[in-house]
Amino acid sequence: MLVLTRKSEEAIKLGDSITITVVEIKGNQVRLGIDAPPDIRIYRNELYEKTRSENIHAAALSIEAFKKIKERLK
Amino acid sequence: MVQFETSRFGVLEVEEERIINFPDGLLGFPDIRRYVLMDYKDTPLKWLQAVDDPDLAFIVTEPAVLFPDYKVRLDPATRQYLKLEKDEDLAVLMIIRVEGEQVIANLQGPLFLNAGSMLGAQIVVDKLL
Repeated sequence: MLVLTRKSEEAIKLGDSITITVVEIKGNQVRLGIDAPPDIRIYRNELYEKTRSENIHAAALSIEAFKKIKERLK
Repeated sequence: MVQFETSRFGVLEVEEERIINFPDGLLGFPDIRRYVLMDYKDTPLKWLQAVDDPDLAFIVTEPAVLFPDYKVRLDPATRQYLKLEKDEDLAVLMIIRVEGEQVIANLQGPLFLNAGSMLGAQIVVDKLL
């Protein structure tokens, strides 16, 4: 992992089209501004990981599971 | 017509126009981009079957079926990503699973589909749900 130190108002560029700016530092919180093209999706990492993990659990369901859920919805 | 194998339903054949394209795939499955939605007359549950991976399929349904008050906003970047021109072309689906006796919905990661462009995306809701 590349680790850089930045001060408030300084920025980092990822490739040619993504810029991350340190907007404000307050106590133990950093506010980051992200400038990126619309096809680059931006997520809080823990929410991304939660969604991904849910997907992986949900991906292997069988036809029996479908029937079970169908029953529960009635 | 596109023909493809599935492990649950055997060989399927569907019109090209029915294939939904997720340019970034779904989280955890970024390389599988083409899916077909299979619905049924007697239940709001559907299968979202991958075209390019026979084993990969998700059980999905509209959020209102389980959560009548579930609302997600479509942000401008996603609107542009999906090439959405008419709001009525937008469909939202949730992936669900069952764990023991409990039905669990992936509220954190709804699927947004544009019926006009046949593009889809999984959105990560930006607050913990």
